[in-house]
Order: sequence, then C-alpha cells, then structure tokens
Amino acid sequence: MTHKRERLEIIHDILKALQNKGGTLKPTHILYKSNLSHQMLTEYLTDLIEKGFITEEEDKKENKFYTITEKGLHFLTDFKVIKNFMESYGLD
Amino acid sequence: MVLSSFAPNWFYGYDVVLELFFAIMSLVVAALAFRLYKKTSQRNLALFGTSFLLIGFSYFIQSIINFLIISKVNENICRAIKIQSISSFNNLGLFVHIFFMTIGLSVLIYLTCKQERVRALFLLAFISLLGIFLSKNVVYSFYLFSSIFLVFISWHFISNYLKNKKSNTLVIALAFLFLLFSNIHFIVSVNHQLFYVIGHLLELIAYVLISVNYYLILKK
Repeated sequence: MTHKRERLEIIHDILKALQNKGGTLKPTHILYKSNLSHQMLTEYLTDLIEKGFITEEEDKKENKFYTITEKGLHFLTDFKVIKNFMESYGLD
Repeated sequence: MVLSSFAPNWFYGYDVVLELFFAIMSLVVAALAFRLYKKTSQRNLALFGTSFLLIGFSYFIQSIINFLIISKVNENICRAIKIQSISSFNNLGLFVHIFFMTIGLSVLIYLTCKQERVRALFLLAFISLLGIFLSKNVVYSFYLFSSIFLVFISWHFISNYLKNKKSNTLVIALAFLFLLFSNIHFIVSVNHQLFYVIGHLLELIAYVLISVNYYLILKK
C-alpha cells in the first residue's frame, strides 16, 4: 500500500525465491521471480547485501550468483510478525 | 511536587501497580521492536524500540518513587545517601521520570514526522526539556508538553488507520487517543485529585489495547 510496505514485500519475494531454489540463484532468475526492473533489482540486491540477508559470489566464468544467509532465513520466518508490527504502528 | 501527592489516599498502591504494568508493557513492546530490528535492520524499528524503552523506564521510575512514598522506605534511603529532605529525593525521582518520558515522546514524534535529520530530534528534546524544567510548575508544564506531543503522535496513528483500515491499526489509534485523554486529565489533576485516578484508568485502557495488539501481532 505504501512505499515501505511494498518494499518489505519485495524483499520477502526475493528471499522467498532464493529459499525455494535451494538458497542460491543467478540475478536473471531473481529478476524473473521478483518482477522488478534491472535497475530496481540492483538497488534491492545491494541493500540486501548491506543488511546481511544475502551474499554475492562469482564463479570461475565471472557469473554472479546470490545466496540467502541465516539472517535472510530468519527474516522469512518472522515476516508476518515484522509486517504486522510495522503495519500496526505505521512504521513504513 | 511528587506525583502521588495528586492522588487521593485510597488510590495509593493502585497507581504503583498500574504504572508497573505500563512499564512492563512498554518494555515488552520495545523488546519486540529491537528483536525485529535485529532481523530487518529497519531504522524505524530501532527508533520505535528506543522510544518505548525510554517510556518504559520512565514509568518504572514513577512506579518506584510512588512505591517509596507509600512504603516510607525513602526515609531510610535518604538517611543512607545523606539527602537532607525526603521531598528532594522524591523530586529527583520525578525529574528522572519527566526527563525519560519527554525524550521518549520526542523520539516518537521524530519518528512519526518521518524526519531524517537527527538534529531535529535533539532540538525537539532540548527545547521541550528546557521549557518544562524552567517553568514555575514543572509537573503542569510536563503534562502540557506531553499532551501536545500526543496530539501529533495520535494524529499519525489515526492517519495510519485511515490509510490502512484494519483491526490492528484501529486498536493502536484508539490506544494513543486514550493516552492523549489520560494526559489531558493529568493536567487537571494538579488541582483535582480525582482526575489523577481517571487519567490512570484511561492509561490502563490504552495499555490494555497495546497488549491486545501485541497478542494479535504474535498470533497471526
């Protein structure tokens, strides 16, 4: 509904996509699953790395891939509580 | 000067229990906000947790001071820490309560006004504390300032409900409206003891609503 709540839901969708695919995905797959523009996805991924929800790595062919961290998994577990709390107090 | 001096005799003790409940509930909400902040790194959650932590601490001090007044333990404390008069000790406790509550509400205002600059928070807290502590009647000024703060804070929660009409947003909007009404009663309680009791009862309704919302958040 408001910017931040959508933001929380997008973060949830990205992390959920990673979790559903065994924890690791290439950026193109995340782009497809999260339904974001390339620029927006880059911003979200940077933010998620900074917050420690995902890590970025490169293989030998210099292809990037992202892995969900323990903190990211905890976010998914408590997503409903986080969403309800922020919604109740209008913290978006 | 102490808060309990505004209470009728029969209410002594009840106010201590109620304030302890408000303190515990505020600290429980703060703990949840900090736990969620740890998981999300959302700045708003840290600020919200800080404001409720300060408010909880403030209620805790208020409860202890009111308990000391009725239990007369403060006479021994005064002797032990070599404070000449009991009223100085009680006033010190009252000032600590006012200090933490004012800063807690300032953080909540800063948060709900969606300010980014921390300087705005310092300015708000500094001016409020200056206004309260330099006034002739500190208690009256404190309740006046906190009522003005609560008008803005309640407005945030009412707008939040109007934007997102759900039971949890309604419960919180009502809780802060009750807190505002209770503060208005405390302004009058400086001259009329019964309003001190009504203020506490309205505050109780507010904190019961906050507890209900806390239960709903964890239940869903």
